[in-house]
Amino acid sequence: MKRGVWLIGLISLIALVGIATPEKVTLLYMTAGDINMLALAQNVLGPMFSERYPEVELRTVHTGPGDAGSQLIFEKLRAEKLSGKPTWDVDVAMVHQVFMSWAMAEGDLLLQYAQDLETWKYVTSPQAKYALGVPVEGYVMPMFFSQVAIAYNPQYVPDPPRSYAELVEWVKAHPGKFGYNGIKGGMSGVAFVVGWVYWKTGKYEKYAITGPYEESEVASWEPIFKELKEFNKYVTITAGNVGTLDALNRGEIWMGPVWVDMFYTFMLTGKMDPNIRLVLPEPGLPGQPMYFVIPKKAKNIEWAKKFVEFVTSPEIQGKVIVEMYNWYPGIDGSYIKDYVSPEAYARLYRDITPEELRTKGLSFALAKYHAAILEAYEKWTIGG
Amino acid sequence: MLPFSKLMRNGQLVAKASLGGGASKLLPFLLLLPALVFIAVLYIYPLVRSIWGSFSVGAQSLSLGNYAKAWALYKKDIIFTIIVAVLGTILSVAVGLILACYVRLSISRASRFVNFVSRLTIFLPYVIVGQMMNSFLAPHGLLNVILANLGVVNLNNPLQFFNIRGLLLGFLWKEAPFIAFLTLSSLQVIDNSYLEAARSVGAKTRHIILYILIPMIKPAVAMAAVLTFCTIISTFTLPYMLVTESPTMVTVDIAHRVTYFRDYGVANALGVCLYLLAAPMAVYYLRRTVREEIYGY
Repeated sequence: MKRGVWLIGLISLIALVGIATPEKVTLLYMTAGDINMLALAQNVLGPMFSERYPEVELRTVHTGPGDAGSQLIFEKLRAEKLSGKPTWDVDVAMVHQVFMSWAMAEGDLLLQYAQDLETWKYVTSPQAKYALGVPVEGYVMPMFFSQVAIAYNPQYVPDPPRSYAELVEWVKAHPGKFGYNGIKGGMSGVAFVVGWVYWKTGKYEKYAITGPYEESEVASWEPIFKELKEFNKYVTITAGNVGTLDALNRGEIWMGPVWVDMFYTFMLTGKMDPNIRLVLPEPGLPGQPMYFVIPKKAKNIEWAKKFVEFVTSPEIQGKVIVEMYNWYPGIDGSYIKDYVSPEAYARLYRDITPEELRTKGLSFALAKYHAAILEAYEKWTIGG
Repeated sequence: MLPFSKLMRNGQLVAKASLGGGASKLLPFLLLLPALVFIAVLYIYPLVRSIWGSFSVGAQSLSLGNYAKAWALYKKDIIFTIIVAVLGTILSVAVGLILACYVRLSISRASRFVNFVSRLTIFLPYVIVGQMMNSFLAPHGLLNVILANLGVVNLNNPLQFFNIRGLLLGFLWKEAPFIAFLTLSSLQVIDNSYLEAARSVGAKTRHIILYILIPMIKPAVAMAAVLTFCTIISTFTLPYMLVTESPTMVTVDIAHRVTYFRDYGVANALGVCLYLLAAPMAVYYLRRTVREEIYGY
């Protein structure tokens, strides 16, 4: 009996407290990407957002790296659409480019929201308009860009090649001193090969933006991959993205393609010779953004917009995306200058200016061309 | 008509007999069921699915398209895998046996120490071995730097290990102690009197090893070789971390097909190639174990 009284008392107390304090909004955020994406949301963005808006709590669900992580988010949203529920569970999600091709083909999954944001005016990248050739304007806000660039050691390479053509000459003169990881050991090598195809064919627009996909294009690549085979005779093939960075640091190679954010993170943690520099050769190398999307029937659409606005604000872009994570900002780099320490800003844009990024930061090819490039490399460059 | 009590007894007997008979027929299967279900769900089902998957291209089932593609793109790698597995096994068996015989024949502290240290490698996963070999064998890695300091190697033109040499070294480093571990227990059962008898008629250590110890532990050596061969062809991390380009091992290609193309067809076809390599070994292993179980040799 006594216990019953206590229980009733406790329940009414909880109810009272519940009435007294306004209900907290839980914003459900699903993110694809590596484990650092989870840490970013849980340890940095979530607490900062709740500090500004105490009535909101960010709850993060992490789906894992690569396309597979984005695929899980796609499946979740598709299931919500098929369920016919009036409101959906996920409020905001972070996805790779390939997600957009699935989501736009499926239709009715995403909200066109970006133009409503205060921060939309800061977005200048073409990748906010097209994702792997799919028109996505308004459906996405890029949180950051990762870019592949050529890292070089100025001690041995005082005057680095400024184009693929110059690079080929340089490599012939310095056999074994340029290294990349082929296509089986990570995306920095893949990016180099994709850049090679853009350079040799001059058809970046068709392969990466407009399409359409044509078999005849692929058939015409044989000579350029044979030339890459010849080029490969003069290079060192490294073991993976990290393999290239390690080989640069140990001085085994003097040049090689790397992810810019990995490169700076290595440097800040003392794993990279601080003298190594970056260059983005003509006609450019691919990189990729990650996008915020808002599901069409999200429960807390207004808060989701506020959250995206918050993360794409010049302040957070400068302090978190650039300063802490060494990514290129999702918004135009010129707007963040006031919010980022001069060292970090100088570090990020010292070698590759925002202007260069705009013209030479390319996209990966459309999905079908992308697969065809990889297979062509296997067929004609490393030859079965 | 039988008296009631007798009927009861008979009935009991019949019931007992039928119950006992039924249970004795069913019981073994019931007891085996958990193990069988486990094997069926976790081994047989995926195996059958992957073989089936290797013959399906899109909607069209039963085609050799995946095999044609696998052969066209990866024949170099398939051959390379066989070469690495065969050489790796031979090398590991040779070094492992030398190690085991040394520990068996020597009674010094050094041999006990060698025995202890070599066993540590058995517990390291391949991903750690891969990382170690990666920094140890790199062109400007520890090994080359040491050799350069000794004046043996020129760092501008260092020894290259990110190829079959590095792979073989990695496998040797990990598998030789494993083979020593497996064969040493067999060596230790061999009575010293054989060795003493041999010595008394003038046999040298190498004669003892070649003509007495190894012939007596042949089955253990064969088993160890089979296990090593299967480990080498199925290892992914070491080749992935040392040689990612071409030629590389089939496991890396399987991962590549899945990660970049979501092409489970060709990946399965490559997997089946590995099964075919492992199959003769598995058959040998099973026959051997069954023979040992039944006949005790």
